[in-house]
Amino acid sequence: MRTRSYMVGLAFMSPALVVLIGFFFLPVVLTAVFAFTNMSTSTGISGGSYVVTGNLLTALKENGVPVEIADALSKASFVVDPEGIAKARDAGTDPAFLAEIEQQLGGRTFTDERLFERELKTLQHRPRSIRDLKLAVDQFELSILNSRFTSESAARQAIATFLPSAPADTVDQIVEASYTGWTWTTANFKQLFSTSDTWRIVLNTVFYVAVTLSFTVFVGLFLAVTTFYLPAGAASAFSMLWLLPRITPIVLYAVMWKWFTWEGGFLYTAADALGLPAFNYMKGSVPTAWTIVIMVNGFIGAAFAMILFSSALKAIPVQQLWASEVDGASRWQQIRYIILPHLRWPILFVTSYQTLSLLSSYQEIWLTTNGGPGRTTTVWALESFNTALNSYTGNLQYGLGAAMALILVIVGVSLSIIYLRLFRFDELLGRPKIEF
Amino acid sequence: MQIVLKDFTKTFDGNTVIDRMNLTVEDGEMLALLGPSGCGKSTTLFAVCGIHRVNGGQILFGDRDVSNLPSQQRNVGVVFQNYALYPHMSVFENIAFPLTVRKDSKADVDRAVRDIAELTHISELLERRPGQLSGGQQQRVALARALVRKPDVLLLDEPLANLDAKLRLEMRSEIRRIQLETGITAILVTHDQVEAMSMCERIAIMKGGKIIQIDTPKDMYSNPRTSFVAGFLGNPPISFLKGRAEAGGFVLDDGSLRLPLPVASQIPDGTDLTVGIRPEHFGRAGDVPISGKVIFAETQGRENLYDVALPDGSVLRSVQPAQDDVRAGDSVSWKLESAAALVFAEDGRRL
Repeated sequence: MRTRSYMVGLAFMSPALVVLIGFFFLPVVLTAVFAFTNMSTSTGISGGSYVVTGNLLTALKENGVPVEIADALSKASFVVDPEGIAKARDAGTDPAFLAEIEQQLGGRTFTDERLFERELKTLQHRPRSIRDLKLAVDQFELSILNSRFTSESAARQAIATFLPSAPADTVDQIVEASYTGWTWTTANFKQLFSTSDTWRIVLNTVFYVAVTLSFTVFVGLFLAVTTFYLPAGAASAFSMLWLLPRITPIVLYAVMWKWFTWEGGFLYTAADALGLPAFNYMKGSVPTAWTIVIMVNGFIGAAFAMILFSSALKAIPVQQLWASEVDGASRWQQIRYIILPHLRWPILFVTSYQTLSLLSSYQEIWLTTNGGPGRTTTVWALESFNTALNSYTGNLQYGLGAAMALILVIVGVSLSIIYLRLFRFDELLGRPKIEF
Repeated sequence: MQIVLKDFTKTFDGNTVIDRMNLTVEDGEMLALLGPSGCGKSTTLFAVCGIHRVNGGQILFGDRDVSNLPSQQRNVGVVFQNYALYPHMSVFENIAFPLTVRKDSKADVDRAVRDIAELTHISELLERRPGQLSGGQQQRVALARALVRKPDVLLLDEPLANLDAKLRLEMRSEIRRIQLETGITAILVTHDQVEAMSMCERIAIMKGGKIIQIDTPKDMYSNPRTSFVAGFLGNPPISFLKGRAEAGGFVLDDGSLRLPLPVASQIPDGTDLTVGIRPEHFGRAGDVPISGKVIFAETQGRENLYDVALPDGSVLRSVQPAQDDVRAGDSVSWKLESAAALVFAEDGRRL
């Protein structure tokens, strides 16, 4: 019997579990994985190859690789071998010419391009144009510089053929540095903790969440309580109006705020007409930018809070309100002593829910101030999004972005646990009403 | 303090539920508003305490016209059916609430709360929360909260409806004791005639927004003004026989039963009549023998109840000391006290 009831419970929970795993655990695990890599647009997310570039050699010289080794790697050699012949044939070089090359120069190696070229020019079937000759020469070039090795051993072998005498640790250093794919690293976190920019964004985020949350709760409470005392018709009309921020598509909502606050917009025109300072309020100054960011997000939250508070208000037994009036409580005392205590749980719920959702929300800021002016209204989630998925320079740093997102997840989960403990949400859970 | 309702009228969304009601509750009296649900008794009570505004007429507390005062300024104490205790406050805070909202000093509040807690026997519960109290204890807290600021009027809205039978008995006498000790004018709203009869000096029976009769419980029982009042009071209830007047008496429609009735002598023969017979007036003693068949028998320990079907199908109820000689299905021939029969006209008026 007990196993059966557990199975039934599990069956009921399975859709939730699937969603939880698919839309929470999996992304979090992937984020955690990405956070410890240096993935970016340039490394790609699949494996990479080994390429020694000129820039890399310059960097290696600065990092202690002997100059002569680095210079040796930058040199090219020309080898006449079957591979080179095949490559040249694919490139469209005259087969007769190729046959002659193989016969006359087969197996020889040239360290100088001009020497090889001179040798080719002596051949009978050499092409008329210099361009075709150069094309043929290029096919035999064997260089570590800019050539792509798919595996580490191939790269190691190639370096060994060029530099048979190079010390092993230098070769290791070169091979490692030449890898173009992603690698495991903790550098993302080191970078985050060492940059002063990070703390600026943390402060922005704390300010944003705290102020927007207070706005949400106070405006939500105000709306819920005032509509509670209104006649039913007017109350539902007002509730509908105040729900608009919540139900309007977010892009449309952001665009309306732009119309409202930008140059030539409503506020601008009104302020201009009244002789007040008129500028792009959304991006023109830090205080107005913050005000708008907080209002844009706050009204969405307030609409949500209003619904919750209103339904909680309707759940107050009307006799308690009557009793308080009969007991002599004024309207304010009734709100203070009867209504607010009844709203304790919804207020706590809105507080915790909104903290978490504000921490992770960036789209409203992205669509309005986009973190500006400068980076004054940039919050953690927006920065993480920009780093990982929306870089202006084009190099998307998935690894660093994921590291920022992971920190956000850790902060969010810790806050949830603290809220659950602090507000004793477990007390709200009742025993099942139907027993199996 | 005397309460007077003068032509009190109440409408909800254009529907007049109470039309020009007049009622006087004397100083220190406890009056019951008794009636079936929807009769307007709670509406009347809520109008007296100011939760409902009056649409016409006046409500006077003594000489003070409170018709248009909000409930905060009426100085009334109300006990609601579900007690309406504030669940987030302790018992002490609940009782103190009417005093704290008018900003009495802490010492005064403390003394007043402890005094009233003593009166209502809940001194040891002051630190608890309403959720930790039994129904009867919650009832006492609600009563204490209603009384703590010494209101002019105490209003009780079905105060015993949510209690179990034993507690109901106990709280009935408790409320009455407290009302008598404080000497407060009280109105009790109830649909339970036993409550109304046992607790109140006078009962006002209401039906369809009108007061049908105001009387002491005893007079109301023995001298009902209409068949509705007769039917509402009494447990087990009165039984009615339908018939007509004939030669100074009452006969059933099929002529099978004949009752000599003094009042019937002035009534023309053939007038339709209803006769009400209380169960205690039909049994082994009486002057008119009646035969019928017991269709239902129930024992209540001290007494037995019987339903007896007469040949024409009417049913008479009888209550008798417990005995086990009669069972359902038996034919019996019992007697009826014709002097105690109540005679009503077709429209329900008592003749």
